Amino acid sequence: MGAMMLGKAWKTTTGLVAIVGLVFALAIVGIGAISYEVTHEALEQQLDHRISAETAGLLAEAHRHGLPAIASAIERREASRSTASLDYLLMDEAGNRVAGKLQAQVPSKVGFEEFLHYRKPGEPDPGIAQALTTKVAGGMLVVAADRSGLDEIDRTLAALFAAALAALLVVGAVAAGIIGWLTQHRLERIDATARAIIGGDFARRVPRDGSGSEFDRLAGTLNAMLDRIEGLMENLRQVSSDVAHDLRTPLTRLCSSLDQASQESDDQARSERLESARAQAAELLEIFSALLRIAEIEGMSERLPRERLDLSTLLERMAESYRPDFEDSGRSLHVVLVQEMQVEGDRRLLNQALANLLDNALRHTPAGTGVTISGERVKGGVKVTVADDGPGVPAQHRARLFDRFARAEAARSTPGHGLGLAMVRAIALAHGGHARILDDRHGFAVEIRVRG
Amino acid sequence: MRILIVEDDQDTLRFIAKGLEEAGHAVMLASDGTEGLYHAAGGGFDVVVVDRMLPGLDGLSLLKALRATGDATPVLMLTALGSIADRVNGLEAGADDYLVKPFAFSELSARINALGRRTHARIEARRLSVGDIVLDLDSRTVERGGRRVALQPREFSLLAELMRNPRRVVTRTMLLERVWDFDFDPKTNIVETHMSRLRSKLNAGFADNAIETVRGSGYMMRAG
Repeated sequence: MGAMMLGKAWKTTTGLVAIVGLVFALAIVGIGAISYEVTHEALEQQLDHRISAETAGLLAEAHRHGLPAIASAIERREASRSTASLDYLLMDEAGNRVAGKLQAQVPSKVGFEEFLHYRKPGEPDPGIAQALTTKVAGGMLVVAADRSGLDEIDRTLAALFAAALAALLVVGAVAAGIIGWLTQHRLERIDATARAIIGGDFARRVPRDGSGSEFDRLAGTLNAMLDRIEGLMENLRQVSSDVAHDLRTPLTRLCSSLDQASQESDDQARSERLESARAQAAELLEIFSALLRIAEIEGMSERLPRERLDLSTLLERMAESYRPDFEDSGRSLHVVLVQEMQVEGDRRLLNQALANLLDNALRHTPAGTGVTISGERVKGGVKVTVADDGPGVPAQHRARLFDRFARAEAARSTPGHGLGLAMVRAIALAHGGHARILDDRHGFAVEIRVRG
Repeated sequence: MRILIVEDDQDTLRFIAKGLEEAGHAVMLASDGTEGLYHAAGGGFDVVVVDRMLPGLDGLSLLKALRATGDATPVLMLTALGSIADRVNGLEAGADDYLVKPFAFSELSARINALGRRTHARIEARRLSVGDIVLDLDSRTVERGGRRVALQPREFSLLAELMRNPRRVVTRTMLLERVWDFDFDPKTNIVETHMSRLRSKLNAGFADNAIETVRGSGYMMRAG
């Protein structure tokens, strides 16, 4: 039960600080007990030592001159007594007091007696003394020291540690409360943002204080995650609306082709209509598969299958594969490469990006156009440019060219769905790079960067 | 050939089974992964066709389980549209080929035929010979009727792919994948263009066409 509560307390910041406080308090108690014991023992030994030394001094006198010498020595000492002085009692063998003013029962045993009750001269309460009883020739000697000093130090020590413990407990409790409250307060910003987002306010972000603290960094990470999620959601929304808008026309056309086919009585004409409907369906399927592929590539940048490959080989092969078609159509294809352009990526996707650009060049430029594929190493990766010296694309159309279904006005009359460049950009992004249209030149040029 | 098809979509299952039976194959059907694995593990099939998405045991797990028993039966995996990850995972799990849905039956048939042949010829010969054409993969030379034919590298790879599958249809998609590393259909007819150049080089001075076009399916080389 207790362990379970501790286990739970551990998980909250308040509980954690409280547990740490308790551990400190226990440590203080332990340290206090040890210090008390050590100090007490040292003082007691000091007291014993003083009594022993005094007794030895008196006995030395007795050795030379007998009992009366001790008696006179005691009287001398008592005459000059101060508060810290010792008390004495010297008795003969019959038990009569010979010298000394100590008012107490004579201990029955020879040796140390820790708690000797005695009457203090001029005080109502009885005192307690530490006493050493020694047998001397012709009697007994008792030397006693008052213990009240020792007891007082003991009490002071105990009080000191008790106060320290109490202060620590209070400080610990307050610290636990404050740290718990602060943590909760800081987390509340995140909590509030999360609740707002659950509630539908997708643009909300965790406010940052710029301190670079762990909470601030967490807020930054969470915001980056939210941006990514929002980007993906935006992407999804975009795809849905693109599909709705741009597929309605071909679907309607397909529908009417099938209608016409079903009304056609002539077999030959009907099979022609059906063949045309089949071709339209195939085209729609192609659009769908391209859309899905773009969406998949955009969503998989981190999980992209990667291998090390040399882009110069890949580009040369692409050029070799496309050159016959360029030549047959009266265009030319040139390659300007440096060797050894190592990148991490998916060979087929990179092939597709290049193929889309070359397909575009073949379809959207007039015969006689020259196209150049160039590749070079740049900081952090590789840059590939596919440029033509054709008429180019007007500046106002360039910005939207990478969007789905975006087509330059001049390209409306030529075949295509306006998905090729969107895919090129998705592939470049998935490879940690980007794709852009180069402005400062004659003709049309797309630059792709890929992380090395 | 004996072919096992594991596919949960009944329409697709019927469509494939009907076509393959008409082509003279013995077909066994399974409509979920567990049943599929049971039959596949029993052995005796020349080719197994597995859908990636299956109820119960999915296609990928079925394939892994089958390969874990040391079974090397050629497996063709069917994947949904636009699944780049499936393609990679499938090939990593030990699939020999994959085909994206929807597909034409001729495509499936050509791929099954190509896979079935592999069982008998695991180790590839370095010298391929079909009819009067000899292709050496090491020296990268081609001769027809003892006469040297000079080819561009892509044309050479294209001919090699056709010669690996003599008397079998090789589809345009298979050529795009194997010769060009394309898993998409480019807008430019690079296959047709290369095929026409390859043919004109191979056929120069010969009366018969070395590479036949199979209408609606692909290309094929006949042995003489």
